[in-house]
Amino acid sequence: MIPADIGNATMEHLILTYGALFVSCIISFPLALISMYNKRLAMGIITFANLLQAIPSFAVVAIVVPLMGIGFEPAILAIMLRTLLPIIKNTYIGMNEVDRSIVESAEGIGLTKWQIIRKIRIPNAYPAIFAGVKFAAILANSIAILTAIIGSGGLGSIIFEGLSNLNTDKILAGSLPTIGIAILIDVSFTLMEKMLTPSIYGKKRKK
Amino acid sequence: MGFVDAISVVWENQDLTIRTIEHLYMFGAAMLGASLIGITLGIAIYRHKKFATILFNLLNISETIPTLALLVILLPIFGLGARPTIITCIIYSILPITRNTFAGLTSVSDEQIFVAESIGLSERDILFKIRFPIALPMIAGGLRIALVFTMGVVTLGGLVAAGGLGAPIQTGIQLYDKNIIIVSGLWVGFLAVALDGVAGFIEGRLEVRK
Repeated sequence: MIPADIGNATMEHLILTYGALFVSCIISFPLALISMYNKRLAMGIITFANLLQAIPSFAVVAIVVPLMGIGFEPAILAIMLRTLLPIIKNTYIGMNEVDRSIVESAEGIGLTKWQIIRKIRIPNAYPAIFAGVKFAAILANSIAILTAIIGSGGLGSIIFEGLSNLNTDKILAGSLPTIGIAILIDVSFTLMEKMLTPSIYGKKRKK
Repeated sequence: MGFVDAISVVWENQDLTIRTIEHLYMFGAAMLGASLIGITLGIAIYRHKKFATILFNLLNISETIPTLALLVILLPIFGLGARPTIITCIIYSILPITRNTFAGLTSVSDEQIFVAESIGLSERDILFKIRFPIALPMIAGGLRIALVFTMGVVTLGGLVAAGGLGAPIQTGIQLYDKNIIIVSGLWVGFLAVALDGVAGFIEGRLEVRK
């Protein structure tokens, strides 16, 4: 196993994980905002999200093949199918569960619904939104290995090569970096959350 | 060839009845192991709270590890097959069960404990006759999360020669046979959603009884 190969595979893995996560975020946030205006859409999304959460990731990855074939793009779709709904759900619930009294005082000083969402609901939902994106990132990292079976490349393909002839070195070379990345995601998101969450709110939440 | 024919052909050729039994066997074994360890750990850290933070930090880290990575790392130790698959399931499922057991036990209100103390129950009786029954809906919630994790990991078992419904999915992908992929993929998806639904129903009933 040449170290350069592991480096390349790690790059591929990161592009796959973060690419899919990025697209998921771009689609999710507007959908969560639309859900704020449409209760039925919101209920539909949450029910669907809970249902889809129960389906094994391997089945999701497999089902993508008849739809899109194999390769990098189908892999992105498979990861997105898993990560979209947790982000939408957390963002929506976070915005929706803002303290009633805060929203009422905002209404009282005459803010419009959109202003309340932008200035009150979104900042107050930061912790929930971050939790959703972090969860999605960890899921994406996990599924990005699995998608190697449908030809996405990355660290997963080293693992599958190792599996096919039970080569322990290859198995470890493929899997250990993904564990490192998982822990890095966990730590970096926790740090980012602390930095980006408005500090007054942070103090208030500490009860 | 109609859709129903396609299903029956795949079902026969891929031995989906046997695969489903294998799948549910691994699922059952993992859930049993995870419940025993998870609930015991939950009660243990409830009694010795100083270990709670350390244990939860450790379990939280294990939770972020990609499932397939953990599964393949266990292969050199446990060999191929059902054993590493079940052990991986248990490692992932301990956190939700332990966390919910611990949270359930600590969620009991002071008044309830006060009443129990005043009628002269010992600390042990309070734990098992008051706290545990009150914590039951939360424990059931933890078991339901564990159920979803376990279904996911058991399906991956197909990749490490453990059998189960992951095996026909892998065959389908390797042969690029869309029928096999669709039938076995949808079947395992349906099983997972159905089991989760049953668990949700039981959780709901426990909540009402409380």
